[in-house]
Order: sequence, then C-alpha cells, then structure tokens
Amino acid sequence: MSEPAHPVPHQILVVGVNHRTAPVELREQLAFPAQHVDGALQDLLTLPSVDEGVILSTCNRVEVVAVARDGNAGVAEIEDFLKRQPDVHLKPTRDHLYHHARKNAVRHVFRVASSLDSMVVGEPQILGQLKEYYAIAQQAGTVGSILHRLFHRSFAVAKRVRQDTGIANRPVSVGSVAVDLARRIFDRLEEKTVMVIGSGAMGEALVRHLVENGVRSLMITNRTFERAVELADRFEASPIRFEDYGRYLRLADVIIGSVESEEALMTRDTAAEVLRERKQDNMFLIDLGVPRNFDPLINDLDNVYLYHVDDLADVARENLRGRESEADKGEEIVDQEVEAFHRWLTSLDQVPTIVALKRKLDEIRQGELRKSLESSLKDVSERERKAIEDLTAAMINKILHAPLTRLKQRPGGDADYDDALRALFDLDEEPGQGRPPEADQDEEQLPARLPEGRPGRGTVASAPSRRRPG
Amino acid sequence: MYQSLLQATAGFYLLATGAFILHLFSQRESFSRAGQWLLLAGFVGHAVKFVFLFNDAGFPALAQTAATHSFYGWLMVGVYLTVQLQYRLPILGGFVAPLAFLMSLRSIALGEPGLETPPALLTYWLPLHVTLALLGNAVFALAFAVSVVYLVVRRQLKQKRMSGLSRTVPALETLDRLNKIFLVWGFPFMTLGILTGSVWAHAQWGNFWSWDPRQITSALTWLLYGILLHGRLTAGWRGRKAAVWTIAGFLIVLGYFLWGDAFFLSRHGGRFE
Repeated sequence: MSEPAHPVPHQILVVGVNHRTAPVELREQLAFPAQHVDGALQDLLTLPSVDEGVILSTCNRVEVVAVARDGNAGVAEIEDFLKRQPDVHLKPTRDHLYHHARKNAVRHVFRVASSLDSMVVGEPQILGQLKEYYAIAQQAGTVGSILHRLFHRSFAVAKRVRQDTGIANRPVSVGSVAVDLARRIFDRLEEKTVMVIGSGAMGEALVRHLVENGVRSLMITNRTFERAVELADRFEASPIRFEDYGRYLRLADVIIGSVESEEALMTRDTAAEVLRERKQDNMFLIDLGVPRNFDPLINDLDNVYLYHVDDLADVARENLRGRESEADKGEEIVDQEVEAFHRWLTSLDQVPTIVALKRKLDEIRQGELRKSLESSLKDVSERERKAIEDLTAAMINKILHAPLTRLKQRPGGDADYDDALRALFDLDEEPGQGRPPEADQDEEQLPARLPEGRPGRGTVASAPSRRRPG
Repeated sequence: MYQSLLQATAGFYLLATGAFILHLFSQRESFSRAGQWLLLAGFVGHAVKFVFLFNDAGFPALAQTAATHSFYGWLMVGVYLTVQLQYRLPILGGFVAPLAFLMSLRSIALGEPGLETPPALLTYWLPLHVTLALLGNAVFALAFAVSVVYLVVRRQLKQKRMSGLSRTVPALETLDRLNKIFLVWGFPFMTLGILTGSVWAHAQWGNFWSWDPRQITSALTWLLYGILLHGRLTAGWRGRKAAVWTIAGFLIVLGYFLWGDAFFLSRHGGRFE
C-alpha cells in the first residue's frame, strides 16, 4: 500500500476560461446563465473529487471554483465537466482553459472579486456577479465551509481594494467620463435638461449614460425631423425641428453636438448670448462633431465647459493609466489577504481532533483491508485490490465530510463537538493497532479531556450549526 | 490656566489641520472624519476656556485682542461644525482648522488675557458688538473656503486635467450656491456688528464714526460684500466672479486681523481713550 495513509487535505481549485484565453464565441457557449446554473452545480458535485463548488459566469469569464480532495483529478474532472455541457459544440482546448490550485486559486478568486483580473481594471459589475453566483450555489447547497469562507473573504478583499486604492473611482469610458464631468459641474442631474443636436451612435451612447444617471429632461433635434422623432421616442424625449433648436438652447444645461457640418453650430458669441439669457447658469457642451460643432473659444467664457470627444477620450485614457498604477496597490492587498487565508486553511487540517479522527478511521480501514486481503479477498487481482482500496478511502472521506466541515467552521473553538467526537470515537486512547505513531504524535498526546460532567454536554446532539451554509 | 487650555485647543486645531492635509493627499475619508472630531475636541476645549475666563472675570471679557482673536477662531470652528450638520463638506475643515490654529496661536503669543475690562467698555454692548461682527466674519471665512475650492475645481474643469480633489468635493453648482448661502447669512451679522459698534460708540464717545482703521477696513469689506450680494441677487453674478470677490473681501478681514493692530493704534487694538 503506497498511498498516503490519511485523506489528502482539501484543495481549492479554479478551472475556467476568460477574456484573455478564449474567444467570445467559446465563452458564450460555455456560459451558465444564472437561471440555469442550479442543475449544473448539482452535476458538478457528483464529480468524484469535488466536495464544494461555485460556478461563475459572466460575459468575460466562465469559471468553476471548487474544493477537491485530489487536485489533479479535480482539475481533469472539472475540465471534462465544462466540455460536456450540452450546448458546447466548440470544444475548449488546453490553451483556452486555465486552472489554478491552492494559493494561486485563492489569489485568482480575490483578484477577480477586486476587479484586478477584469478587462477594464476596476469595473464595478464583477463583484455583484460574483455575489449573485455565490448566492445561487449557496441556495443549491454546493457551498461548504471552505468556499463559504473563501467567497466572504473575497468580498471583503474587494471592498478593501476599492476603498484603499483608486482603481474604481476614475471613469474610463467616454460616456462615463462625460457623466462624471456633468456631476462635477451640476448638483443634481435629475433637474438638468440635455439637448442632442444630430444623431450618431456615440451621441446615443452618451445620452443613454446620462439617462441612466438621472437625467430626465431631454430634447432631440435632427436635420431629418423623422429621425429626431424616432430617437425621441426611444428615450421619451421631446423632438425639436432643426430650424427651431436655436430658440431652445437656453433651456439646455448639457448640449451634445453631433452634426456633420462645415459650419459651427455655435460660435463664441452665440454661446455668450445664450449664457446671458440663462443668467450665467452653468452649461456643459460636448462636441462629438468632426469638424467641430462648437467653437473651441467658447471654453474661455465663464460658466461654460466645452469638451470635445477627443478631450473626453484623453481623460478616459489618463484615468485608465491611473487605475492601472492603483492596481499595483490592489495586488499588494491581495497578496496579504492570500497569505492570511492560506494560514487559516492550513490551520484547519491541524485541528487535533480532526487529525486524530482521520487517523483513527484510516487505521480501522487499513486494519480491515489487511484482514480481508489476507483471507477472503486474497485472490483478487491487483486492479481489483486498487479499486477496493479506493472505494474504502472514498467511503471514509464521504462519511467524514460533514463532520469535518462542521468542525472546521470553528477550528479549535467548539469544545462540544470536540468532546463528543473524542468520546464517541475513543480518540484519546493510545494510537496503535498496527500503525506506529508518526511525527504528529504529540497532537495525540494532548492531555486527555474527560467528557463526563462537562457543562453543556447535553446540547451536543441538538447543537445547531452556527454557520451552516445554505 | 487659560493659556494651557488655549494651548491644548491650538494643539487640537493643529492636529486637525494635519488630518485634513492627509485627507487631501490620500483622499481617504477616515482622515477627514478624524479631522472633524479633532476640531470638535478643540471647539469644546476652547469653549471651556471661555467659560472659565468669563466666569473669573465676572463679565464676557472680550476687550483685549488676546481674547478676540481666539474668540474669532472659536466662532469659525463653531460655524463650520454647524454647517457640517446640514451639508457634508469636510473639505472646508482644511481651511477652518489652520485658520483657527492661526488665531489661537496669535492669541497665545499676545499672552495671558487680563481679567480686567477697561471701565469704558464694561457694558454689554461689548460682547454683543464683538460677537455679531466676528460671527459675520466667521461665516465669511467659510464663504472664502468654498470660493477657493470653487476656483480650483473650475480651473481643473477648464483645463481638462482632473485630480482626485474635484471628485471628493461637491459640484461647482453646489459650491456656488454655498457661496451665496454664506453671503446671505454672513452679511446681516456683519451689518449688525457695524451698527451695534456705531450706536455704542455714539453712546460712549459721542460720535458714530471716528475713522478708526478697524472701522475703515470693516466699511470696505462691508461695501465689497454688499456689492457682491447685490450683484448675486439681482444681476446674476455667480461662479468665478463671486468667488474672486469673496476671496478679496476675506483677505482684507484676515489681513487686518493678523497685522492691522501692529500698524495702527485704534480702539479695536486696545487703545481705549
């Protein structure tokens, strides 16, 4: 018998594809929509090595986070699990799939949660998606104590990274830069009026951003009135005839110019006049036109802020650079947290009762195996013998899973469970029975605790699990 | 006794200043929160000092510059904390804390205030006049602070180079509105301060106006703020223009507080003939 004597400690694994390793077509096929992930989670848990599992699926990544009894087997099983999903016709190859184990897996989950692994570093959606998929897995009952702790820790790490670094507070798209600027100028976007002159994809995207951020009052004008009406319908805006828009300029706090025209829509003098009519109320002009729709000199006037789309793009680029330098601080935080988590994880397997219990059961298993293999099973082939060994080891692991999970939730802290186990399994007696004590012998020679008469013993049977996931 | 209380107070103001500077560089909220608590601690210590001082003197002894300077600093912090209840504007602490520290320092440098109030001033006109005038100036200190912030943010927006600062402060529009609110509150106090001073001077010395240097600078700032307020309320003055005027007005006030008494002999500087 060459296999290690007691069950291998559990490993955290991450297997999946993301925006860097797999093309979008492949990611789309592998994706698990939130409403269908439940069944997949149940399947995942039927894999022989997998004890706990969470599936994360966004447009940029599909990942399985699992706790496995055997790292290598676990990775292979999960890869296979991903490949045999019903909708997957394009098979992911080794190049598409990546996997991380132990510390690297922990680091990966922390980095994903903190948006350090995102396509746009610092984007805020990923944490929400992670929480959503974690909640589904918890509902499905596929989260145990280790993933419970891992995910809750990752949410805390994400919060810390967000608070202590600047990765999240700089807008990095043209639309969000425009909204950010509008917020620095105006008190409440809800009370502001936006006018869009002309149409175009960029203008529409900008309007959508502004509307999502509270803008309610919108005027849209276009050389082709029908086009203005059509756009206005989409945004519940007021369409305005192109000949008339000049009269409405003074009502607009934000004006987006998106017209192809050799002649400027607004000169410095027009702008000054409009400002006078508005009693110098602030104006924010966004010029999407090439050539420019608004005379650049307008920016020299007081109380008006003129940004060309190139300016917005410059700010976005600048911010992205800023985010990336902030990301280094985020990585430092993640490193610290990975170490802390790893310490917790390794401490689990050193809880004396756990060590003693695993050893005890394994001694029984090996003793019985030896007896049988020497008598009734002595004619079995080498293959069958291996199968019997695996089978018995797997049984013990399965039986131990729930109690160990319960124990690990409060490493060293739950004297009731501790005492009960020690009493029920006679763990305090001298080890022996065919296996010489090994290096961690001292753990078993802890002063024997006497279960009898301890206060609170009566609650053992009914003691509710304090942090039962799900 | 008063001196050690005042020193402790100044210490809190200095620590608060440090916290606000750290906030400015790190953009961490914990620093501005610490700054606010430190200011509150200073404010309470400062208040205790005045309670002891007035109690021992048997009269609100606000005749000497040593007392008025620190009283001004105390009012500034008080107004800041009050404003803080309504609007979340920790950034203003970055102005108020060093100003309050400066005023306390000036007061400490002037030495232990005497308990005696000159007989000519032993009337309740004194605390009334001093409190109203200084309260007006304390509100203007906050107007000054929002105006400086306004100009900084405006400049960044115009030049299209944003910093973390403009992210943590209110929108330009809000800053401009606050400038107006402070002006509207500060101006009546200042007016009443000047009026009570004149009426009292008339009762005491027989003339409403004596071309005292303090009176001249007060009249100047009053006029300046008056024009600004009028412009704001009727002619649509706002934004940069309002900010610049506000800053100019406050610099006159501050300049006189710090150096005026050194150059001019006046009733306000301790010469009570």
